[in-house]
Amino acid sequence: MTTPVLDITGDVCPMTFVKVKMGLQKIAPSGKINVRLKEEALKNVISSLKTEGHRVTNVSREEGTFLLEVEKAG
Amino acid sequence: MNEADFKELKKGGMMRQAEGGLFSVRLHVTGGRLSTKQLRAIREAADRFGRGEVHLTSRQGVEIPNVPQDSLSALKELLAPSGVGVGVCGPTVRTVTACQGCKVCPSGVIDSPALAEAVDRRFYGKPVPHKFKVGISGCTNNCIKAEENDAGIKGWIEPRWEGPGCTRCGVCEAVCPTKAISKSGTGEELLIDRSLCIGCGDCIASCPTGTMREENRGYRLFAGGKFGRVPFLGKRILGVLKTEEEAVAAVAAVLEFFRAHGKSRERFGDTLRRTGFPALESYVEEKGELP
Repeated sequence: MTTPVLDITGDVCPMTFVKVKMGLQKIAPSGKINVRLKEEALKNVISSLKTEGHRVTNVSREEGTFLLEVEKAG
Repeated sequence: MNEADFKELKKGGMMRQAEGGLFSVRLHVTGGRLSTKQLRAIREAADRFGRGEVHLTSRQGVEIPNVPQDSLSALKELLAPSGVGVGVCGPTVRTVTACQGCKVCPSGVIDSPALAEAVDRRFYGKPVPHKFKVGISGCTNNCIKAEENDAGIKGWIEPRWEGPGCTRCGVCEAVCPTKAISKSGTGEELLIDRSLCIGCGDCIASCPTGTMREENRGYRLFAGGKFGRVPFLGKRILGVLKTEEEAVAAVAAVLEFFRAHGKSRERFGDTLRRTGFPALESYVEEKGELP
């Protein structure tokens, strides 16, 4: 199964937060989801993921955006 | 009553109004916090001795305007049981302002109202060469505008980078609002420019691997700010102060320096432009018993 990709590059806070939360609801505990986002959303998205116990296992850059590999809390 | 008497009354927080025979009475408020009991007493005093209104000052204070001179002592007596004192004016340490701090605000780093109380207890109303204002912001979002004050304090988080475990993903570098973080020439090391860092802690909050950590969490002091006719922003002095006691000791040493070097009716920032900021820093480091 390929890892689902959630694109929130067109969103601003708090929709970035809401969409990531909804994306995580669709996957099983310890499951993976990739999140594509703009630089300005990095801080809020990563810090709220960490606060809720999820892990960002990889970060990569692609043409002005970032791609986060997120592992849902177990 | 002569001019000297009016001056004395003003120092005690009772300001003669433009309208003859009336006074605006400044109350002693710290960090903009009043209990409902105090508010009821203030309402009673304004109804009985003023015109049923109060003025909220630009620095979180309260004044009761339109009080006749012969009511001043009765007004003081009415307020006293609720713990509301009369304020100060003239060349003294003024109202200490503060935000709600870390116990209320999710962004808060320090308990700013607690520090405001501690500073107020020790220094409020004490004589200095010119008015001296202290303002305390719980974090670097700086709602209290620390740099506008003769002594401003901000909650501050100082980051430390730990190499092992870091994937060099670049998130900290990207989120830093002042571009204080950069990769070394080889890309192996992360460098934090302390002179650019504003202590917001964004790099720590967003680090995916937890290798950007808190080195210090505490109080950062800014000296010599003022507004008025010729505004000047206070400048950052000393390192991060780790405890409330250290912050109070630093303010005490700053006030001592002002008393020793300030001319009468000269604002602290102007004193510092004569002496230079390094003179203040070495004095505070020595006298403030700081680490």
